[in-house]
Amino acid sequence: MESLFILIPIAAIFVAIAGAIFVWAVKGDQFEDLDREGERILFEDDEHSK
Amino acid sequence: MTSSCFHCGDAIPSGLSITADIKHQSQSFCCYGCQAIATCIHDADLEKYYEKRQNQRATRPSDDNIGAFELLSDPSNYARYVHSENDAHTMQFAITGITCSACAWLIEKRLSSLEGVNSAFVNVSSQIATVTWKSPLQSPLSIAQTLLAIGYSAQPYLPGEQDLHQRKEKQKAIIRLGVAGVGMMQVMMSSIAMYAGDMDGMDDIYRQLLRWVSFIFATPVALYAGLPFYRGALRDLKNRHFTMDLPVSIGIGLAYVSSTAALITQTGHVYFDSVTMFIFFLLLGRFLETVARSNQSLINTDDALTAITVIRNSESMQIAQRDLALGDTVKVDPGQIFPADGTLKSTLTAVDESSLTGEYNPVIKYLGDNISASTTNIDQTALLEVTQLGQNTKAAAISRITDRALTEKPAIALLADKVAHYFVIAVLVIAAATYFFWAMQGEPEAYWIMVSVLVVTCPCALSLATPTALTTVTNRLKNDGFLITRGHVIEALAKVDHVVFDKTGTLTLGEFTVRNTTLMTDEYSKSDILRLIAGLEQCSNHPIAKAFGNISPFEFSDIKNVTSQGVYGVHKGATYCFGNADFIKSQDIKIPAALVEATNTGLTLYLCRASTLLAKVDLHDQIRPETKEVLERLTGMGIAVSLLTGDTPMSAQSILPTKWFSHYQTSCTPEEKWRWLMNQPSQNMLMVGDGLNDVPALAGATTSLAMGGSSDLAKLHSDAVLLSNHLSGVANAIMAAKRCKRIIKQNLAWAVCYNTTLLPLAVMGWVPPWVAAIGMALSSLIVVINATRLSRN
Repeated sequence: MESLFILIPIAAIFVAIAGAIFVWAVKGDQFEDLDREGERILFEDDEHSK
Repeated sequence: MTSSCFHCGDAIPSGLSITADIKHQSQSFCCYGCQAIATCIHDADLEKYYEKRQNQRATRPSDDNIGAFELLSDPSNYARYVHSENDAHTMQFAITGITCSACAWLIEKRLSSLEGVNSAFVNVSSQIATVTWKSPLQSPLSIAQTLLAIGYSAQPYLPGEQDLHQRKEKQKAIIRLGVAGVGMMQVMMSSIAMYAGDMDGMDDIYRQLLRWVSFIFATPVALYAGLPFYRGALRDLKNRHFTMDLPVSIGIGLAYVSSTAALITQTGHVYFDSVTMFIFFLLLGRFLETVARSNQSLINTDDALTAITVIRNSESMQIAQRDLALGDTVKVDPGQIFPADGTLKSTLTAVDESSLTGEYNPVIKYLGDNISASTTNIDQTALLEVTQLGQNTKAAAISRITDRALTEKPAIALLADKVAHYFVIAVLVIAAATYFFWAMQGEPEAYWIMVSVLVVTCPCALSLATPTALTTVTNRLKNDGFLITRGHVIEALAKVDHVVFDKTGTLTLGEFTVRNTTLMTDEYSKSDILRLIAGLEQCSNHPIAKAFGNISPFEFSDIKNVTSQGVYGVHKGATYCFGNADFIKSQDIKIPAALVEATNTGLTLYLCRASTLLAKVDLHDQIRPETKEVLERLTGMGIAVSLLTGDTPMSAQSILPTKWFSHYQTSCTPEEKWRWLMNQPSQNMLMVGDGLNDVPALAGATTSLAMGGSSDLAKLHSDAVLLSNHLSGVANAIMAAKRCKRIIKQNLAWAVCYNTTLLPLAVMGWVPPWVAAIGMALSSLIVVINATRLSRN
């Protein structure tokens, strides 16, 4: 059980990193268009042109 | 047989055959424009667009003017709109005609395949494309031309101050929501461990560890994500007008501070879980509400770049409209809009004043006549000497009436505001009274009972009840081509008991159509006659020519226009002429008296070859095919229907029978329309219109709807835009709004039931804060699920 003293802080650090990535993504305009992104995966090409 | 156009889905006029091979199949189109677009899409190997868009229909580009992009060759304009880093140039295009993700896909694919384009990104919500290209391989002009070829018209776009501000606020709101969501989940995990520990036993040292973890994750949520509530509470205190922000802030503040105290002194409970959940759900409700209510048409019209041609020092040049000066002579080609009030310097032309007066029959202007800004030149290239600019033009005067109308708009939201104010005072009093009562009883938990009361009364479900339903309906209507641009529309639509329509362009198509063809000889069949006329009219911008635009024309040469009278042309060596009675008489051709008598209120024109009268053609503005059905549906719903038109009684009654309407008023000026609306006893009116002459009425009506083909000013001042341009959208939207209101009522009833049941229990001290928080989450969830029912048909 003592491992919790290490594991929980490590988990907390991961959460902080995830939060930072989220903030970075929002600031990088990735959440600009809430109508479109949900459908984007449906519009990916089946054949790869590049 | 009626079939629909492969590209835009409009009905194909009977007898017309315009086809193209798309993916080895012959497809039919309604016009050459659509055929060209589809062929262009096919040639670019992008025909998958037609599969991807599913049921969405394309809108036909209404405006093929890309003069604004030509102006960008001026370095000062270029620098304003185009951001350049070395040879990578970036510019934003405001695009009209984007209806779904498939459009965005098509545009991005097409632009990216151009040589020199580095990236193209389309934002569907704001209808703005951001394109980066390598100069000089591409230019804004070439990109705009490419867009036009696949059916989208574009304007240079420069975000205004307000747009930037709105974007920043939205980003902050998303970050807050994210922080609150992630924080809440972490705190919840520790809480569940603690509850498990309560049941099975747990060492104090681990319990204390978990409490610290909750504290660490709850702190950013309480201090950062909750900021909007504290700001709101401060504002409330300053204004002495209370909103829910105040009890919310007090609840959060008390729970957070005392939990922190309990953590440090290691006595009593911590309620970080309740705090974070509380904040998350409230933020979610707010966010959904702002998204639903925010103005969705972001196009910045104040500073649009419009190209006009002026003649200065007997030299013709292109300048931006804002550089126009008094005394300038402007050259206006047929089809263009007069940029300013002025006097005509060329001999004569015909002007379409329908945007100002609603009258679609062109008015003839002679040398020296006054011409108003925002009317359309249709006949000859005109020279205009500018006498009034900007704020002094007649069009600007109409928009001033409009501003006044806007400020006098009845406010609906006020009542809800007042109720909230007293509700908040009641909550605070009850919470304080509860605390004092239990403290007097010597209850050690008195403080937490009070916090429970604050959490329980917090109308989380109540605050989610309306926005979730509104968001769902707003999105559904948007998919159906009904774009809501102001917040109160759905509430107002649900209450509508009187719909007021404009005539031209709203109930009617606003353009001439052939109603009747009378043959005078047996030489030609009816369709040949129409094809002859189409040939004569093919180069004309006159509204009459539109009536024949869908007919494949015979070949003509030497076509000459006689302003406001008719047109000559040569076909297979014979001279044909087509025009009104005066024109035919001036050719010394007699029109039989019987024909003249049979003439109705519409427009009658004659076709002759040399001196032989071939046919008489009656043209008429036509009512939309769906008009009658929609009017009947509205009446069937118990809604009064009225007509306000600038047209003469004769012309109006010839296509729209009076008996369809409960009120029928003709020859109205824009101001009269507005005054009439203001004098109606009902507050729940919906005004539907399209032209500039409807703008004051649109702005002054409780709710207003502009047709998709409206003038920009009309769209700007209305609360919703009917993008689908199909009148059934009006009735559908009212139905959807009514359903939405029913769902909101159910939601509110549930939320109020929940709050009122739990409040006495909380006052009695039977509800610990964590139960209050879980109950709140559950009741919120029920409300959200109920609201999603609206997205189904």
